[in-house]
Amino acid sequence: MSREKLRKLGLDLPILPTSTVGSFPKPDYLIEARAQATRNAITKTELDRLERKATEFWVGVQEELGLDVLVDGEQYRGDMVAYFAETMPGFAKGGLVRSYGNRYYHKPVMTGPVRWPGPMTVDWWRWTQSLTSRPVKGMLTGPYTLMDWSFDDHYPDRRTACLALAREVRKEVEALLEAGVRIIQIDEPALSVRPDELPFAVEAMHLTVDGLAAYYVVHACFGAFETIYPGLLDLPVDNLDLAISHSALDLLGMFKKDPFTKDLSLGVLDVHSHAVEAAGDVQGRIRRGTSVLPADRIWVDPDCGLKTRTVEESRAKLSAMMAAVRAARAELG
Amino acid sequence: MELILSSAGSYPRIGESPEAQRHRRAYAQQERGEISGAEWRAVEDEVAEQVVREQTAAGLDIVTDGQVRWYDPISHLARNCEGIQINGLLRYFDTNFYFRQPVVSGRIRRRELVLRREFEVARAATDRVVKPVITGPFSLACGSILEGGYRDRQELARAYAEILAHEVADLVHAGAALIQVDEPYLLKHPEEADLVREGIATLAAVRGHAHLALYTFFGDALPLWDEIMAMPVDVVGLDLTYGPKLAERIAEAGTPRSLVLGVIDGRNTKLETRDAVFRILDRALPGVRGPVGLGPSCGLELLPRARARAKLENMVAIAREHAGRDGRSR
Repeated sequence: MSREKLRKLGLDLPILPTSTVGSFPKPDYLIEARAQATRNAITKTELDRLERKATEFWVGVQEELGLDVLVDGEQYRGDMVAYFAETMPGFAKGGLVRSYGNRYYHKPVMTGPVRWPGPMTVDWWRWTQSLTSRPVKGMLTGPYTLMDWSFDDHYPDRRTACLALAREVRKEVEALLEAGVRIIQIDEPALSVRPDELPFAVEAMHLTVDGLAAYYVVHACFGAFETIYPGLLDLPVDNLDLAISHSALDLLGMFKKDPFTKDLSLGVLDVHSHAVEAAGDVQGRIRRGTSVLPADRIWVDPDCGLKTRTVEESRAKLSAMMAAVRAARAELG
Repeated sequence: MELILSSAGSYPRIGESPEAQRHRRAYAQQERGEISGAEWRAVEDEVAEQVVREQTAAGLDIVTDGQVRWYDPISHLARNCEGIQINGLLRYFDTNFYFRQPVVSGRIRRRELVLRREFEVARAATDRVVKPVITGPFSLACGSILEGGYRDRQELARAYAEILAHEVADLVHAGAALIQVDEPYLLKHPEEADLVREGIATLAAVRGHAHLALYTFFGDALPLWDEIMAMPVDVVGLDLTYGPKLAERIAEAGTPRSLVLGVIDGRNTKLETRDAVFRILDRALPGVRGPVGLGPSCGLELLPRARARAKLENMVAIAREHAGRDGRSR
């Protein structure tokens, strides 16, 4: 089991380790600064200073709340795919596409062979880790999601594009490991969109992580997981982080039929709701988890990044989660 | 064989340049209350006319108004119904597009018909056939949250079918000769094909002399071939981007029905090569006895505007070459 792997990596985490999925809301001053930066109204150095200030704030919040594995909060990223697409050669900024209502975004386009440009997240990880004695996760977007959320003008098909991306993302994994990262979360929210493509998504994950020693978490949300379970278990990772808070925990019923063989990060907070969960409700969700899996294989986190919530909502939701975890730990003795 | 070149529904409403973003600016203005409802409708009309003219200029035979007034494919038709509140966002299939879910809490009733005016504005902007598009009753039911008024999705789909039948009858009365009914959720729920057929039959009963076209997309229709071919419609639009086997099936099974082959990938920017399109056409066409259409696999709103237009122009050029090779010119 992976707890042994964590120990070998020098990580001695409590029962029901707590973490978050990656992004935190940007404080108002950073939102304003990013808007100014797009108009060249402030320097890159000034933007960087404010991104670090916000990162430091969120590290403080995570420590204060008692989270076990920290994240950098992605204060320097606009979007989980755009950040990498803007950094990696082979991608171009695409035209405007509507996401809903009057909201549009520039969907990236692969216009040539994608290439790793050198470390993309390592400096941020290293700096964030320097702020805390608790472990900080490395955070990457996975090859399948990078492929699925981009247009492709270059590769002959989706599989080829996905595998090409995997080879490049692997280089970022290697760079993170070289810097000292022991836990890496790879975000694959698109994983369940086309069940027939799961085999090459798994193949891509092998290309990304095989032979590289770390504790790997794959985060997948928006899921119709019934369509890719138990095939999902073929992913060569230690922990699957699944959005469970608003899916009525149906997944847990599926695990009874096809045993879940990995560690599970239980996404117990609904990040798409303004409402702050009651600690008792969160504890109930944790209890449902521990009723189908041994507690030492369960992590607890929100069901997605918190960036769409306010700073106050994020803090309150995480407080409820931590209170629930403390109660659950006490219950487990 | 001469191909009828057809739009598949939605079309991007803005482009990259500031002048191409009039719709976006006016949308924000009407949200802030800075322009009146009439001014906002005038902008929508103007954008619809541009979209129709753009498709016409690209060389299509059958165009749509791009569904530029639709917030999304689900809530637009549910918005003006009693018994329905429009709720939060939900991802639309495996796209990065989100729709608002109608919440059905009681018996539904149409307050007003909405599609006729949209059709008439588009028709005035072109000499081509304008095809109104509706989301089918089953897909509307699948996209809704049922909290009351009906026992289950089946009952709700039947209620939506009654409402849509009024829209269809009104469109026919206004002169629509071809009406497209989108049922993408059929591919996700093949077990519900009977319910889809029942809903389509309700619409077919009021279509008069107009033709009905059933479109499925975002998936492979191959497993549902027999069921789809048995639907009471005149035309079937198929998404052929999910694998080569559907073209094989068309060739092998043959069909007396008129088909629209969705060969142009409406979800990716890459322009189709002539050879790739020819390969599919050459495989499928001998199996079809009715008129054959060529079109995008789905509405083009998932693409940037410039690329949507380029896709259509590319499709027209390839179709002309194909017709020329067969000894015909368009």
